[in-house]
Amino acid sequence: MIRGFLTNKKALAGLVVVCAIALTALIGPFLVQDPTAFLARPLLPPNWDHWLGTTGQGQDVLAQTVVGARLTLTVAVATGIAVVGLGALAGGAAGYLGGRWDDGLSLLINVFLVLPGLPLMVVIAAWLPPGPLTMFAVLSLTGWAWQARVIRAQVLSIAKRDFVAAARVTGESSLRIVAVEILPNLASLLVSSFIGATVYAIGAQVGLEFLGLGDVSAVTWGTNLYWASNDAALLTGSWWTFAPTGLGVALVGFGLTLVNFGIDEVTNPRLTAQRAVGKPGQPPGPTPVLRSSNG
Amino acid sequence: MTRYLLRRAGFYALAAWVALTLNFLVPRLMPGDPASVMFARFQGELDPEAIDALRETFGLTDAPLWQQYFSYLAHVAQGDFGTSVVYFPAPVSEVIGSGLMWTVFLAGIAVVLAFVIGSTLGALSAWWRGGFLDSLAPPILSFIGAFPYFWLAMAAAWLFGFELGWFPVRHAYGLDIEPGFHLAFFGSVLKHAFLPALTMVVVALGGWLLSMRNVMLGTLGEDFVNYAQARGLSKRRILVHYAARNALLPNVAGFGMALGFVLSGALLTEIVFSYPGQGYLLIQAVRGQDYPLMQGIFLTITFAVLGANWLVDLLTALLDPRTR
Amino acid sequence: MFPLLFTLLGCAPAPKADPGVVTVLQEQQATWIRNFNPLLTTGGTRWPTRSGIYEPLLIFNGATGEWTPWLAEAWSWSDDGMALTFDLRDDVLWSDGETFAADDVVATFHLLRDNSSLDLGGLWGFVESVEAPDADTVVVSFQRRYSPGLADIAHQPIVPEHIWSQVEDPSTWANPDPVATGPFTEINVFRSQVFELGKNPNYWQEGLPHVDALRFPAVGSNEQAAWSIVQGEVDWAGTFIPAIERVYVGRDPEHHKYWFPQTGGMVFLYPNTTKPPLDNADVRKALSMALDRELIVNVAMYGYTQPANPTGMSDSYADWRDPAAEAIGAEWMTYNPEGAAAALDAAGWTLRDDGVRYNSAGEPLELSLSVVSGWSDWVRAAQVASRNLEAVGVRCNVKSRDFSAWFDSLGRGDFDLSIAWSEEGSTPYGLYKGLLSAKAVEPVGEPAIRNWHRYPDPNADALLAAFEDATEEALQHQAINALQMRFVTEAPALPLFPNPSWGEYNTTRFVGWPSADNPYARLSPNLTPDPLLVMTRIMPRENRVATQ
Repeated sequence: MIRGFLTNKKALAGLVVVCAIALTALIGPFLVQDPTAFLARPLLPPNWDHWLGTTGQGQDVLAQTVVGARLTLTVAVATGIAVVGLGALAGGAAGYLGGRWDDGLSLLINVFLVLPGLPLMVVIAAWLPPGPLTMFAVLSLTGWAWQARVIRAQVLSIAKRDFVAAARVTGESSLRIVAVEILPNLASLLVSSFIGATVYAIGAQVGLEFLGLGDVSAVTWGTNLYWASNDAALLTGSWWTFAPTGLGVALVGFGLTLVNFGIDEVTNPRLTAQRAVGKPGQPPGPTPVLRSSNG
Repeated sequence: MTRYLLRRAGFYALAAWVALTLNFLVPRLMPGDPASVMFARFQGELDPEAIDALRETFGLTDAPLWQQYFSYLAHVAQGDFGTSVVYFPAPVSEVIGSGLMWTVFLAGIAVVLAFVIGSTLGALSAWWRGGFLDSLAPPILSFIGAFPYFWLAMAAAWLFGFELGWFPVRHAYGLDIEPGFHLAFFGSVLKHAFLPALTMVVVALGGWLLSMRNVMLGTLGEDFVNYAQARGLSKRRILVHYAARNALLPNVAGFGMALGFVLSGALLTEIVFSYPGQGYLLIQAVRGQDYPLMQGIFLTITFAVLGANWLVDLLTALLDPRTR
Repeated sequence: MFPLLFTLLGCAPAPKADPGVVTVLQEQQATWIRNFNPLLTTGGTRWPTRSGIYEPLLIFNGATGEWTPWLAEAWSWSDDGMALTFDLRDDVLWSDGETFAADDVVATFHLLRDNSSLDLGGLWGFVESVEAPDADTVVVSFQRRYSPGLADIAHQPIVPEHIWSQVEDPSTWANPDPVATGPFTEINVFRSQVFELGKNPNYWQEGLPHVDALRFPAVGSNEQAAWSIVQGEVDWAGTFIPAIERVYVGRDPEHHKYWFPQTGGMVFLYPNTTKPPLDNADVRKALSMALDRELIVNVAMYGYTQPANPTGMSDSYADWRDPAAEAIGAEWMTYNPEGAAAALDAAGWTLRDDGVRYNSAGEPLELSLSVVSGWSDWVRAAQVASRNLEAVGVRCNVKSRDFSAWFDSLGRGDFDLSIAWSEEGSTPYGLYKGLLSAKAVEPVGEPAIRNWHRYPDPNADALLAAFEDATEEALQHQAINALQMRFVTEAPALPLFPNPSWGEYNTTRFVGWPSADNPYARLSPNLTPDPLLVMTRIMPRENRVATQ
């Protein structure tokens, strides 16, 4: 599967983009100027000293974009892990245990799915002290249900299959069945869930911070946009104060989406025209693959 | 089918209760009180003594929590969400009433357009798999979809509204136009809704396209499609009547879920465009620490989403013979 | 679908404002709620209800520093300073044609007495009674001599008794169709995104106002407000616009004008004087010397204001400043990092190799700086201040809290340093009461309504009482001189910068605006009751051309 993944063009392109930005977030802050120092005249267009110009307060935009990536991505990845963890716990329990457990958990999952996300996030975030921890908590609380639903469906279909039934009949412990039989079959779904949750976390985080619900004295992508708007970036025509951050958000999101496409195509071969059929250890599609004459 | 719809209605009632309870608990677990906040918004222009006067006005009681909870439920049941702090002394229901229609209108247009255009493009790109459309549209639209809603809205407002001046970037209709059933008003409304709706549609397009494409690819492999082809039916007939129609069903089910997302996007877009809907009210409530208004907006949006979901259930039930 | 769309668009008439209608931006609200109750606070009531629809007895003109007679022709203090007498105009009619009389004034003050939530200025804390000996005279008797009370009483908007006596609960009544004495009383249009106020048919100032109506579009955000001003849709506004010379004036230098006088409230950095070493005046002065106020003003306020005057008084109180006090204050208000370092050395805080100062007990000099997280100008100011303090060896971390948490901790004295506003008024009395009064000091943990830094000055309360007692200006000046001297010697709080009063106008359609060259009043519509002076002076451009 990994080989298939690496030869998938989309996945590879996405991986390169994501790695490049992750590396920038990791190492970049040591290479750029102090993002909070007031260095030069405000709203300077890009120039030799400040490659992406300066903000309305005379801070270096490049430095702010690079340093902002770090906190934003950290919170996003942490949220991604938490969301998938919560989702796997709730969805997995519902799917595997079935019966009353499934009824109750599914109900809970569906209730959280149907509540509108942003207003709920705003209502909660407005009450907590602003900062990355609040962001993490709010995003995890409002984001887990989507992943739980997907994971529940998958666990349900795996649990019904012969090899799991066989393991149950032979009296293997639940723990062992989950660890040995179910988890490996769930791996690719968890990875793509994690990616989806991370994309969601970046978007929602930037949106909330843009509204001023984050810690505006920290440097993150969302607060960069908040300050750009505060300094009337559009009115003064200073596109350089908001374009780099927006592009950064879009590139990470797009890169991660591409990786997810790649995973989808590798694990669900019907989506691609040319690729060979079937990989061991993957859930088969609901119906056998037939090629359309128009392919 | 009636049983199915009743069961769904029961579920939405439960969801509404969870929203109500969350809504009640969250604010009360945090510090701060609205009278001191309201006083502070005047930054020294008001005598500090006024704070006691304000507290009295807002009737901040020290009753036990459960008592507050039941009186809260009773009030909400009567459509009474309390008195707004920012718009004091207007009741929250009046403040919300002025904006709800516009949000529903904007989000409604955007979600329907995005769904129709996205699904059509998705069906076509699945039909001509590997073709020109299929290789270009998904990556481009996914890239655009990766931008934050409000970022694209800002860019569009700046370029088409401020620099080029093609479209208005404020309000829902021209200030000189009397609202009513006449062409000038509708024209103005469409003109004002164009940019906000456009950014929302563009962002959402990619998602619909991909989900339709993926379901459609599955459907195109099904036996009945092959059978139709074997019968020599025209390609157009197969695409529209057999493949797309069946592929649409799961997408319609996703439509209900999407409403929540689109409403969230509409809120941010409204802020950028000063569109007189719920979005800016919400952020104004947050800045003014207007608890009752915030709660009222959250609840009405939630109720709107739940109601829309139930309508989608109804639609699915009508479309899908299996639920009958 | 698209052809249809464009046909419809073609039919939409281009917005074209009526020539006599002034478009004004003051409140930033996403939607208009119909409320013209002048007894409520400004947030809930549409502007200009308090000074435009309704009117006060007198207007303190902040630009000239003088009282302008309005509904009252004259006023006087009794010899014992215990009563204020107002002589009312006898030619004033309410907009419904009824006659304005002393009973209306008495009824207004009785409304405040009977509904304590409407008594926003705390009038009945010092007023004994309000009576009308005859139809044109009102006498306000005081419980004690309290000269600052004049402003509170004179600026109270007066409502008609024949309407308000019928109102069941004036504290929640929205007064949708106001009956008032002001220049604009008729609601021509009221929709959620725009409303328009028409002329009062019975206005007492004959021939005024020169313009037909005021129009208010609902604009939600500061950026949107700035856009519509820059695009020339607005005639009068009080909005902050960054880089205004380039963005606004540059677009039409002949007609686009602004005036940002530094007459807003003073912003302070408050040290919590209950916490050592902030209880030491020398340390407070050292911290003040470390602050580069020029940079703070440029970064946080876009260079629209200037470093604070050493007395802590903004330009609205320029006449009250004492040069002797200014000279003493300048010593610790001027940017002087070397002087700050020397003063900290002298106070026993020595610099170690890690760049931080320690006392003899080995404790580091570490202070947190609290600020409201959403208030961008203050957050910026705090960031610069913290850098300045770090530079002289004070470890200083900015703590941005959301508003209610910040305000709570400020009131309870749970902070080291905090940026906050100060009191405003027609005299500096409230300012120094908040800065120095020992009576206002609450124990740490109890919420204080003023003097959050908890500095009990031994002389201040006697001086404040002397001011309250004084109905003559010379005596008031004497008290303020002594108070500002106390302030500059003790440095209980560190003034940062005065807020500018934002004001923009556009002379394309209307002329007659106040400006730095013609300061007949303050321009900013955000002030009260000054806008009355402006809205009765502006006129359509054609009018002036015709009369010249």
